[in-house]
Amino acid sequence: MNTVQTPSPQAEAAAERFALRVTARLSSGTDELPYDITERLRASRMQALAKRKKAVAPARLAAPAVVHAGGGSAALGRGGHHDGNSEGGSWWNALVSAVPLLALMAGLVMINIAQDESSVHDVAEVDAALLTDDLPPAAYADPGFVQFLKTSAQAPSR
Amino acid sequence: MATEQELSDFLKSVEKRAFKRSVYHVRNEEAALDIVQDSMLKLAEHYGDKPAAELPMLYQRILSNCTLDWFRRQKTRNALFSSMSDFEGPGEDGMDFDLLEAYSGPEDGERAESAEDLTRRAQIFRSIEAEIAELPPRQREAFLMRYWEEMDVAETAAAMGCSEGSVKTHCFRAIHTLSKALKAKGIEP
Repeated sequence: MNTVQTPSPQAEAAAERFALRVTARLSSGTDELPYDITERLRASRMQALAKRKKAVAPARLAAPAVVHAGGGSAALGRGGHHDGNSEGGSWWNALVSAVPLLALMAGLVMINIAQDESSVHDVAEVDAALLTDDLPPAAYADPGFVQFLKTSAQAPSR
Repeated sequence: MATEQELSDFLKSVEKRAFKRSVYHVRNEEAALDIVQDSMLKLAEHYGDKPAAELPMLYQRILSNCTLDWFRRQKTRNALFSSMSDFEGPGEDGMDFDLLEAYSGPEDGERAESAEDLTRRAQIFRSIEAEIAELPPRQREAFLMRYWEEMDVAETAAAMGCSEGSVKTHCFRAIHTLSKALKAKGIEP
């Protein structure tokens, strides 16, 4: 066991030469890997390099990335503005990206007001018609008059 | 910071050896391809911004860890399902050797000689591969890192997480075993 752990320099040199011959054989054999395996290795390498890009990009290109993201979501407001002018630009873009939301809110409020107004208008029309009619409104509360209307409405059809 | 080209060149230079080393370890080409792919992705994702000089060490560590992960996953899987390898027939290596011998029949002068050389070289390569695959895992790892990856003793020790003395011992024992086994087969590398 001791001889294995502390080899003489000559033995060590011989061992090293042997090891290098063995690994040279391995290298020459490995250079001739089948085509499908080399292709899969190449694909793995490409995939790894593509991943690297994503990992490194946010650190180096932080500001332009934010500007592009803002520009994308605010396409309604101003699609073409991509001058990446650091912080002012990003604030402006955040503001612009809120425009569609504000427009939506304003639209909803307007629709609500318009509907309220139209229902009030309808009620007012009915009231006006009742009040300007020859018949006094109190007549509608009289059960005898209602009966008279029913019978007179049926009469012409007979 | 390593540029994309440097990272690409580095991966290109190590991918074949990494694949072969994984094959010796796990004895399955598909699994070895998966391990190499995993290790490349991890290196690029987590250490793509490191200096190019640090990449070899980092990659060796990642490759070792990915191989260990694979063994762990296999262990879990085998605990759940029965091992299909139990049902496989005996050694495929024998078949390959028969095939090569069958094709080495000489027909005409020069071509036959070069075919014989080719076969002989392939046989030596296969024998060396087989003997390396038979080495204990730590010895094989130390031997291949030290001489195939051309790392020095300190680097190998750091990558393997052991002392330099252990690396020297592993390497020397591996060489001893290999030379004995190859001599017994009558192979001079």
